[in-house]
Amino acid sequence: MADPLLNVEDLRTYFSTEEGVVKAVDGVSFKVDAGERRGVVGESGCGKSVTAMSIMRLIEPPAGEIVTGKVEFDGRDLLKLTEADMQQVRGGDIAMIFQDPMTALNPVYTIGDQLIETILLHQDVSKSEARDIAITALDDVQIPHAGKVMEDYPHQFSGGMRQRVMIAMGLSCEPKLLIADEPTTALDVTTQAQIMNLMLELAEQRNTAVLLITHDLGVVAGFCDSIQVMYAGSIVERGTGDEIFHNPQHPYTWGLLGSMTRLDESQQERLNSVRGAPPSLINPPTGCRFGPRCDFAQDICREALPILHQSQEGQKVACHRSDELDLKSIAIGATS
Amino acid sequence: MFAYIIRRLVYGVVTLFALSLVVFLLIQFSGGSPLDRLKLNPRMQPVIAQLTELWGLDKPWYEQYFIWLRNFVTPVDVPAQEGLIVVLGKLGIRSWVAIAAAVAAVGYTVALFFVKVKANWWRTFRAFSIILTWLIAFWIIKSRIVFALNWGISFRGDGPVWDNIFGAAGNTFRLGATALLLALIVGIPLGIYQAIKQYSFFDQLGTMLSFITFSTPIFIIGVMLQLILALYMERWTGVKLFYVVGMTSSGYEELGRGLFGLPSLAQLGDVIQHLTLPAISIAAISMAGYSRFQRASMLEVMHSDYLRTAKAKGLPRRTVVVKHALRNALIPIVTLVSLDVAFIIGGAIITESIFGWPGVGRLYIGAIQSIDYPTIMAVVMAIGAGVVVMNIVADILYGVLDPRVRYD
Repeated sequence: MADPLLNVEDLRTYFSTEEGVVKAVDGVSFKVDAGERRGVVGESGCGKSVTAMSIMRLIEPPAGEIVTGKVEFDGRDLLKLTEADMQQVRGGDIAMIFQDPMTALNPVYTIGDQLIETILLHQDVSKSEARDIAITALDDVQIPHAGKVMEDYPHQFSGGMRQRVMIAMGLSCEPKLLIADEPTTALDVTTQAQIMNLMLELAEQRNTAVLLITHDLGVVAGFCDSIQVMYAGSIVERGTGDEIFHNPQHPYTWGLLGSMTRLDESQQERLNSVRGAPPSLINPPTGCRFGPRCDFAQDICREALPILHQSQEGQKVACHRSDELDLKSIAIGATS
Repeated sequence: MFAYIIRRLVYGVVTLFALSLVVFLLIQFSGGSPLDRLKLNPRMQPVIAQLTELWGLDKPWYEQYFIWLRNFVTPVDVPAQEGLIVVLGKLGIRSWVAIAAAVAAVGYTVALFFVKVKANWWRTFRAFSIILTWLIAFWIIKSRIVFALNWGISFRGDGPVWDNIFGAAGNTFRLGATALLLALIVGIPLGIYQAIKQYSFFDQLGTMLSFITFSTPIFIIGVMLQLILALYMERWTGVKLFYVVGMTSSGYEELGRGLFGLPSLAQLGDVIQHLTLPAISIAAISMAGYSRFQRASMLEVMHSDYLRTAKAKGLPRRTVVVKHALRNALIPIVTLVSLDVAFIIGGAIITESIFGWPGVGRLYIGAIQSIDYPTIMAVVMAIGAGVVVMNIVADILYGVLDPRVRYD
């Protein structure tokens, strides 16, 4: 098998605050192959975004720091690159789009300025060639009158259109990996679907790998080849979409799925929620971090931290009891 | 935008009228008479009667207001009774040149707004060329039309108010402009640097110094500077680095002229020696204010989403800060600086008094002490006009810096 495009190993990113050290990402390892679309799912504050920011090395000391780990991209360890080399990677090999398109574009420069700036930075082209590339990029994200809107400012666009511009900007330099950090959270549902379809289409066309970060399982379902579920700074379960959705092995994944609204089920049923709140990342509970919120926790769960291992069902899971529990057959909500 | 400026100017004139009325009433009802000093001398009785009659001090306040208004807008050497047509007929060639300059400047400004080029450089060029045109026009118009008005006759017997203010305004401008420039070139970069290096030793030091300067009264700063940098300095080292009083030394003219009638180096040095301390005194507080403001606005921008986008695009840190952060961070400072410019016109009363600087501030305080309405009103109107104009300038600058601002 070919080397993976992205190989993250034991990544740990800590933030120092007055209360103590926040272990936002605490030993995360995963691989993304070229062209693979990977979903990263979890509650707010579980370390999804910090993982992405760490890969891009956008965590700014002294507040936050990547303590240990390896982020191999295309055979190079990004954490060992010089700042100048890293600038070539950012926006060139790995592009990133963000949650709130309303504020992610600089209000005082035109769309064209901001697109051309990126292209000139990463491609050896003249200004007028860069302009043509920018117009093509805007065309690709289905913005009408691409040539004309180049002179427009971000405030003249709606949220959905701005996110299209962000995608155009991200893909204009043909990156191998696109990191999308909750790209549709700030958009209304119709626009969400349009943006996700657009991203799917473009990523497939160009064989771009995508790391889609979201807390919305619905968004991931139609988009990703594989999914990893994060909880309190580490990955608790990883598998294909089928495995995660139809045969969850970790009680947290199982709980998350239970909290989803489903159109194909009776409306009468109460939505389940995962009880409790995410643990403090400064003093995480001993043993399994999900233990205090888990309906199936036993003594071992309070003593030892489970590691991510191959389950009998195929996906990887970090749960002591995954093999004995048959979560599929337990009706969600039955225990609470 | 042209319509917008015209509308703002019309509002401005209304504002100035209201201002003049309010201030006039305040002076009227605060008691005392400009002739009170003369009353101590019984032999002055006929003079008092004569001046009361001449200045209309025995008339009701509204009549006095209109007398003041009429005098304020009456040109030099033209009796108040003559109408506008007569006044125009008496204008010399130089005045007509000035009118032509004003018309040309207005025309150029209007014409530029009909040229549609949608580019940033054009907006900047347009703004600067208009400002430049008006500066040149202003230079020509100066002392021809608007300033050929008397602005009334001083009650202190020292001639038309305009003559007094014009002399003082030049001095005040020298001091104020230097102070403003100093505050800007120190305060703004300081704030930016503090924001970039937030919580560093330098940042903490800057914050501490800003708070100390900001909270020290200007008369203490002024006197401390005089003591330490001028008097003790001279006593301990024997070097006379700065002067504490006046604008130039008494032997200024003997220092020799430079080329083309410009001041010689020795004269320039003398001016700087006099200018430094009062300029620092005035600049200190503004400097502290600017650096605090700039730091806060820069920090806000540094933590904005679009700056994260800029970094994620792979831009070098320098470009991120200079291109993407700075322009956004300068927008809120524009208002602050514009209003400061307006108040420079009014002079610095305290600093000018401490340093014996013959500026508008000293003129103003003198006028208040002797209830010299025409002079007080003239200074107030000048400051008022400055605030009105600088507000408009600030709003135009907003438009240059921030494309979201629209004028309609």
